[in-house]
Amino acid sequence: MNPKMRNALKRNAVGYIFLSPWLLGLIGLSAIPILASLYFSFTRYDMLTAPDWIGIENYRAMFDDQKWRNSMKVTLTYVFLGVPLQLIFALSIAIMLNRGIRGLRIYRAIYYVPSLFGGSVAVALLWRQLFGGEGLVNLLLRQIGLQGYNWIASPDTALYTLIVLKVWQFGAPMVIFLAALKQVPTELYEASRIDGAGKWRQFSRITLPLITPIVFFNLVMQTIQAFQAFTPAYIVSRGSGGPLDSTLFYTLYLYQKGFTHFQMGYAASMAWLLLIVIAFVTALIFLSARKWVYYQE
Amino acid sequence: MKARLKAFAIVLLSITFAFGIAACGGGKSNSGETSGGSGNSGNSGGTAQAGNSGSGGGSSQEVVEIRFTWWGDTARNDLYNAIVDRFEEEYPHIKVKREFGGWADYWDRLATQSAGGNAPDVVSMHQFYVADYARRNALLDLLTVIDSGELDVSLFPESTLDSGRVNGTLVMVPKGVTMPGWVYNTAVFDQLGIEYPDINWTYDDLINISRQVVEKSGGAMWGSADFSGGQLQPNFRYFLRQHGEDLYTEDGKLGFSRDTLVKWWSMWKEMRDEKLIPDAATVAEYDGVPLEQNLFVTDKVALFQIPANQIYLYEQQFQEGEIHMVRMPTLPGGQNGEYLEGAYLSITADSKHPKEAAQFINFFVNSKRSLELFKVEQGSPANTEMAEFVKPLLAAPQARAVDFIQTVIPYASNAVYAPAGATEVEALFKDNSTAISFGQKTVEQAADDFIAAANRILQ
Repeated sequence: MNPKMRNALKRNAVGYIFLSPWLLGLIGLSAIPILASLYFSFTRYDMLTAPDWIGIENYRAMFDDQKWRNSMKVTLTYVFLGVPLQLIFALSIAIMLNRGIRGLRIYRAIYYVPSLFGGSVAVALLWRQLFGGEGLVNLLLRQIGLQGYNWIASPDTALYTLIVLKVWQFGAPMVIFLAALKQVPTELYEASRIDGAGKWRQFSRITLPLITPIVFFNLVMQTIQAFQAFTPAYIVSRGSGGPLDSTLFYTLYLYQKGFTHFQMGYAASMAWLLLIVIAFVTALIFLSARKWVYYQE
Repeated sequence: MKARLKAFAIVLLSITFAFGIAACGGGKSNSGETSGGSGNSGNSGGTAQAGNSGSGGGSSQEVVEIRFTWWGDTARNDLYNAIVDRFEEEYPHIKVKREFGGWADYWDRLATQSAGGNAPDVVSMHQFYVADYARRNALLDLLTVIDSGELDVSLFPESTLDSGRVNGTLVMVPKGVTMPGWVYNTAVFDQLGIEYPDINWTYDDLINISRQVVEKSGGAMWGSADFSGGQLQPNFRYFLRQHGEDLYTEDGKLGFSRDTLVKWWSMWKEMRDEKLIPDAATVAEYDGVPLEQNLFVTDKVALFQIPANQIYLYEQQFQEGEIHMVRMPTLPGGQNGEYLEGAYLSITADSKHPKEAAQFINFFVNSKRSLELFKVEQGSPANTEMAEFVKPLLAAPQARAVDFIQTVIPYASNAVYAPAGATEVEALFKDNSTAISFGQKTVEQAADDFIAAANRILQ
């Protein structure tokens, strides 16, 4: 160790010591398990007997696994439909709230509430009640003379009820959008009004370009989150991913493989592949950002 | 000097702090488990503590802690906590930590704990899962604790012990033995004006009675719930055994023919097409709901299949009528489908206190203090003396269950244990039967797909 480094270490020793509980947690509870799962992903591992090295067999097997392909499709549908819809919805609400209405704080809090509950078991259970055969939605439909439908239990609509659930949790991106909207300088709107710009033109030429960095941020965060969604599908389908695997999210299938079917090696390789897919999609968003994200410098 | 002292003090403080947090973390998870265990029984944790400290002075024995885990609902949790409390009173040097969960969560957690090498000492076992654990040597050979005198099975009939053997090794003893059957509510049948089914009814009777239910109720009720898919046993398995087949062979291959599978699914498809059983979406919606919300309890179907020990749980749910049970539908000219079922106790191979664990099991299955609470919670006690002892303690529906079990047990013959991969085969069975009910596959397609995929899993 050269003297310079030793000096630095000495200077920061106390800092590291104070950091140590967190560091221990990071290494013991995150880093080691993550590396272990990388190792398991190359093994056949039933959790009770020792893992058996099989190379890339798990990764290869995934492409022959019809259920795996289906779970990938379900998750991608959820991400590519759910996230844009959610962001559009969040932005619309934020714009409405930004009109300087009275009691803004109360509205903001009320609209944020669903996000607090969003990932929770209670809301997923509530969703079953809303969209079930005897649910509230059907009750309302019957009031206006329409035939009810078993939304949750039919393979062609079950996933969409979960996407609606995702959209409904628009609170977090909405609050961030709202903060961004407040940052847009009002003199720009004043100037444009003098030039005769209408509401829509103001939005598309001033508001939207100026908040693109925030759109970008929300898009990245929500996409990563959506890929990892688990609770809604697990609760709404009671862990089965049914009906007919229509809500078998990638994470849910991973869980079934690992914990129900004792194939922890396969589950670990699925987890690593998911990481790669998320990294890839995020990288695409970052690359595209150069084309559409506008930083005022 | 002063500066150094200060630095030393800071280092010391922060280290203590770090360990303090670690200890806190450990403490938290521990108390989480115990409070979970005692939460439902009110003061069980407190009683245990008092028992320990009271005897601590006089007794020279070291206090040993074992862990016990079970599946079940809230009522059962209260009951088992009370039994464990009594055990702790009697064996003050043994402290029992309790862990429990619902059926599905229970098995997920047990698998994880076993993988981490921290499975509880005494675990509740079931035929469907025992092979998974026994074949991986995760369970103790109980002969070791029987030979050393901790566990007494002298009053257990040989057939009940046999049901706890895997490859000749005794790995579990029954808490209670039970048999599945079909139930109906007498009040519902009386109101509809339909005759009760005979105890030896057949599949044709099932269809005919279902037809009557739909007719007489004006379509407000279905005849029966849909048991074409879901779990492989007991319904489909009985059907196979009646045809002289079984789910698996001794060497862990698929034990039935495509023909029998097609027969099974065709029968249910005809009932579905005739609207004698619920449509696919309704079945999916009620899949896995708790007892108090299922199709039978909510009066949507008139016939339902349950294990006999749950008769009293179902009867509690109805305002009027008695829950009566008949055998699983029989096949004229076929064999008997019956095999012994139940809930069992095992000791895990990694247990550090197999002796105390065995003492606990012994108390649980052989002592009046325990059985007076247990009664027939998870089946009729296997210990014949205890089975007699609990009889006068039973409420009417429980007595009916015991009668049913005793009537049907003589029909039972041995059943092969599930091989590794059985849970996956079951998922496959469910997927394909659901595909039929949603009209996405024909019965023949589903049968072909199932057989091909199942053979791949079991190869």
